[in-house]
Amino acid sequence: MPISTWLSIPLLLAGAFFFLGGTIGMLRFPDVYTRLHALTKADNLGLGLITGALVLEADGWAVRAKLLLIWILVLAATATLCHIVARAALERGIRPWRRP
Amino acid sequence: MAEAYMALAAFLVVNVGAGLWRVARGPTPADRMLAAQLFGSTGVAVLLLLAEAADAPALRDVALVFALLAVVAGIAFVKLGWSQDPLAEDDHAD
Amino acid sequence: MSPAGWTLDVALVTLILGLAWRLLWTRNLFEAVVLFVAFGLTLSLAWVRLGATDLALAEAAVGAGLTGALFMHARQRLAEKLAERAEEEVDG
Repeated sequence: MPISTWLSIPLLLAGAFFFLGGTIGMLRFPDVYTRLHALTKADNLGLGLITGALVLEADGWAVRAKLLLIWILVLAATATLCHIVARAALERGIRPWRRP
Repeated sequence: MAEAYMALAAFLVVNVGAGLWRVARGPTPADRMLAAQLFGSTGVAVLLLLAEAADAPALRDVALVFALLAVVAGIAFVKLGWSQDPLAEDDHAD
Repeated sequence: MSPAGWTLDVALVTLILGLAWRLLWTRNLFEAVVLFVAFGLTLSLAWVRLGATDLALAEAAVGAGLTGALFMHARQRLAEKLAERAEEEVDG
């Protein structure tokens, strides 16, 4: 196997780990704000690591650029959206969770 | 390597299917919406993996649409769908 | 077919049937709207697996995104109308 494959396998596994962590956080965390935290980890890091692995394996610079652009679009979109949702939740009077 | 991509895509779909339990549980509309957002970004990852595994570059365009759609749905939710005074059932169901 | 592809297809079919069942039977309108969006995304992935990439594009953009946003707005209007009517009944 070429060296790029050896590099991409750990990246894929790490990406899968972050998506798993995002799902577990979505199910186990206590309120909207902590779940936003879990969601952004899965979005940014999970997708970023998987995109990184695919960039290593892709053939041609056009494909690599497209993969990176998709990731950057998702990054910008989810960061903005999480900010909007968190502020809307605060305005609607949802109190952040405190350790009881 | 294509088989490994397929396996990872299958894992991600099962994973997000488990995450959709949050849609049924709530309790606030935002919680339900966030689970759909997670589905959207996982869908992007699945489509990128399938594009590489099946050697179908068109799937990357579908992934782009998924990424855009998550934003549209989220902003529509905050601006149009999340009222100050929602139907009483929404915040207290289940 | 490869074992991984088979697992993916079974997961997609299970997810589509489960989502459809839950979205038809839930009593919470907002949950039904979110489930509809998730259903559209799953269906789009299923079209990809069936080799219909153009249908997958249409389903993701129109079926999940646009219709989901419209349903959300419609549910909001419904809630406002119901609140108005309840107020009128109290006043009258």
